[in-house]
Amino acid sequence: MAGLYVKPGNKERGWNDPPQFSYGLQTQAGGPKRTPLTKRVAAPQDGSPRVPTLETSPGAPPMGPPPLSSKASRPPFVGSCPPSSMEPTNFPVVESEILLEDVLRPLERALEDCRGHTKKQVCDDISRRLALLQEQWAGGKLSMPVKKRMALLVQELSSHQWDAADDIHRSLMVDHVTEVSQWMVGVKRLIAEKRSLSSEEEANEEKSVATAEQNQTVPGIQHDP
Amino acid sequence: MATYLEFIQQNEERDGVRFSWNVWPSSRLEATRMVVPLACILTPLKERPDLPPVQYEPVLCSRPTCKAILNPLCQVDYRAKLWACNFCFQRNQFPPAYAGISEVNQPAELMPQFSTVEYVIQRGAQSPLIFLYVVDTCLEEDDLQALRESLQMSLSLLPPDALVGLITFGRMVQVHELSCEGISKSYVFRGTKDLTAKQIQDMLGLTKPAVPVHPARPAQPQEHPSISSRFLQPIHKIDMNLTDLLGELQRDPWPVPQGKRPLRSTGVALSIAVGLLEGTFPNTGARIMLFIGGPPTQGPGMVVGDELKVPIRSWHDIEKDNARFMKKATKHYEMLANRAAANGHCVDIYACALDQTGLLEMKCCTNLTGGHMVMGDSFNTSLFKQTFQRIFSKDFNGNFRMAFGATLEVKTSRELKVAGAIGPCVSLNVKGPCVSENELGVGGTSQWKICGLDPTSTLGIYFEVVNQHNAPIPQGGRGAIQFVTHYQHSSTQRRIRVTTIARNWADAQSQLKHIEAAFDQEAAAVLMARLGVFRAESEEGPDVLRWLDRQLIRLCQKFGQYTKEDPSSFRLSDSFSLYPQFMFHLRRSPFLQVFNNSPDESSYYRHHFARQDLTQSLIMIQPILYSYSFHGPPEPVLLDSSSILADRILLMDTFFQIVIYLGETIAQWQKAGYQDMPEYENFKHLLQAPLDDAQEILHARFPMPRYVSTEHGGSQARFLLSKVNPSQTHNNLYAWGQETGAPILTDDVSLQVFMDHLKKLAVSSAC
Repeated sequence: MAGLYVKPGNKERGWNDPPQFSYGLQTQAGGPKRTPLTKRVAAPQDGSPRVPTLETSPGAPPMGPPPLSSKASRPPFVGSCPPSSMEPTNFPVVESEILLEDVLRPLERALEDCRGHTKKQVCDDISRRLALLQEQWAGGKLSMPVKKRMALLVQELSSHQWDAADDIHRSLMVDHVTEVSQWMVGVKRLIAEKRSLSSEEEANEEKSVATAEQNQTVPGIQHDP
Repeated sequence: MATYLEFIQQNEERDGVRFSWNVWPSSRLEATRMVVPLACILTPLKERPDLPPVQYEPVLCSRPTCKAILNPLCQVDYRAKLWACNFCFQRNQFPPAYAGISEVNQPAELMPQFSTVEYVIQRGAQSPLIFLYVVDTCLEEDDLQALRESLQMSLSLLPPDALVGLITFGRMVQVHELSCEGISKSYVFRGTKDLTAKQIQDMLGLTKPAVPVHPARPAQPQEHPSISSRFLQPIHKIDMNLTDLLGELQRDPWPVPQGKRPLRSTGVALSIAVGLLEGTFPNTGARIMLFIGGPPTQGPGMVVGDELKVPIRSWHDIEKDNARFMKKATKHYEMLANRAAANGHCVDIYACALDQTGLLEMKCCTNLTGGHMVMGDSFNTSLFKQTFQRIFSKDFNGNFRMAFGATLEVKTSRELKVAGAIGPCVSLNVKGPCVSENELGVGGTSQWKICGLDPTSTLGIYFEVVNQHNAPIPQGGRGAIQFVTHYQHSSTQRRIRVTTIARNWADAQSQLKHIEAAFDQEAAAVLMARLGVFRAESEEGPDVLRWLDRQLIRLCQKFGQYTKEDPSSFRLSDSFSLYPQFMFHLRRSPFLQVFNNSPDESSYYRHHFARQDLTQSLIMIQPILYSYSFHGPPEPVLLDSSSILADRILLMDTFFQIVIYLGETIAQWQKAGYQDMPEYENFKHLLQAPLDDAQEILHARFPMPRYVSTEHGGSQARFLLSKVNPSQTHNNLYAWGQETGAPILTDDVSLQVFMDHLKKLAVSSAC
């Protein structure tokens, strides 16, 4: 779902700005936590520092190379979860082109469903924002991660996974607010409206879908010779 | 229970409480001789994933002056269905709902493992969470853009039924009407004139419409039943309009002449925010979020004039009594903070600017109300953005990690009284039999209000033993304390968290060893540090240091083992051994030393110190240092200049900064690019290990710390060098005869010298 990555902070504007965690990382629940680094060493009671232990070579040879990696001594690969890369991880997914149509149509269809139930002004407002999405997408202003996550969002929306869709909307707002802030609120509202609509009509809808399917298939059969 | 360490840890996990003493001296006189007061660190809403709240209300003691809550320490007569209060010994009838109880059928609050219980209160109207944004528009475009986006983003993180409002300010203050319709209206106020709450409410039309202003529109009130709804609306209704409104926020349009600061009416804007909530949602949890990009420069609460050639006050100015606006501004913000606190509202300050913004004057707004204080360089930084996001983080149950409008009540058994509290709270001035006349921190009350808190918010609570000397050890041999926290949960439920604890009394003359063994030096260090910082806020710095030193010497005299006049014989037992070094590092910390910090920075550091839990507080007092090398797994090392070695990477956590420092050889290897050669893969892993660990810390820390990556000789190595104990300096380097570690160019006293003096004074019969 949402990307798990860490990107560097804004060193231009913030002195020693910390790295920035993606929404997915921030909300990642639990996972195998390491022991927290909270141990401290007690100074001996006279306060004098310990004589450096022998294992730390006294004033290590200044320019010798580091010890070679022998296969045996290589530290075991630590965990599988902690994201260590400072760069956004590239999705190893096959680079399939995501079409604007595939994202926009279902959203527009959802909006059509809401018309009549939701106030006209709200629907118009949503519609205006979908137009903005279309314009920015068509104008090449949206990045690949945003397009991909929008495709996922639409999938969840179509399969009535409201919480999942809402969570993707949040991840987009947190990770890509600059790109999406203007129109995402329309999508957010659409998810909310569709959700309340479907909770009213869940049962009816199932029936109507069933009949709709019949209606579609019946003509086909009739036209068959 | 195997050891006291385990006992202490278990109690902290279960009850969120750590006491300085876990066996209590049984008389007032003996208690004062213990030097460190009987006190505890309390995290009222400590996260307890294993503790489901119970869906009924607590049973109270029927004595009107007591009203303690039924708990596992109460004596119960199951046959007669009676219970005896363990605080006032009143015998009480169980309510009818408890008719079925027996030894084998106990309610949760009587079981020993439920020393902490959380009750959900079913009655009473539930009110939504309220968030009022107060936004400075005197920002550079880059900053304003970043802030707009963060605010828009936050609308997605808030619960959909939360109420939100927007006030913007620059030279003028604008209160925005939020409506679902396309037209946006706002009320404009001058930023120079202070208004009373009444005036603000009149001008905004918040007073009850006795004389309808627009009699022609009778339908309006029906559609909007609450008069406040024009300014505070549920997010799910107005999110699209508010997103647009935020997106269209412009920089303050008034021209700023060269050599001038923009006119910024922070004082009036905050006054209007407080007045608006006061008039519409008194005694309901609400959060005012103030975003500022510079100091207040006009009107009530101004901290500096608009002439750029006159800089904002420094510590030097304050010492010379040369800070013109400080007292008046502080008074203004204190008045606002107290009003907000009285109504249960908390105030956050997000200050992002390179220069000071007046946190010194405004700190009471956050400190008295339990609000957050965040200080960054710019709104366009990850430090601000992520810190802000984390305000809206959720717990394992999907609930927001924030609670509102809490009151904390402390009840004690007769031999104890409560002397005060230090933390993000105000006194509720509730006198009673368990309130001490001697104040430590905010005292004279048994109840405090905490308007905003989260699962880590932590208070120091100080007690006084009042049992007379020579009086027998109190009945039952144990003293008890009950902490009752009423609060509004983020799910909008009212809840009550009750923690009841007991500890053994001991006679300090015959059983000093027991008392000594049960000393919690970590808790004691934090509690003494809070007292010290509390004093530093009101007194001169040197006096506080002297007071801390005197306490330390007295403690060593009392609990050290030594022969008189022989410093070399001095020893401290294990339970005290770390305490002197905590005090050593505390003396050097930014909580007590203002040198090299601006007044705003000091206020910021102290703000966080007075609310973090024990673990984080200790990190602030004595930073943590880990070493990474080829000689073994990462290990904690002494916070000492001798730990700075060429073939090590060090990771230091000071709470406010995470520092990664490459030793000289490591830095050279890195420059030579060994990490890119496959045969030196282990070097690459070595470089990566502290980065991974640092991320782990960053992941959980609030607020986001600064992140410093440096190396031997790097200018930023100063962060490490200023924190380690300067055991080697330019003065004694050659005396050591060996060149290990890094000499620190300082005349500061080292821990060794400090300890030598301490021992000399402790064993001396002169003091």
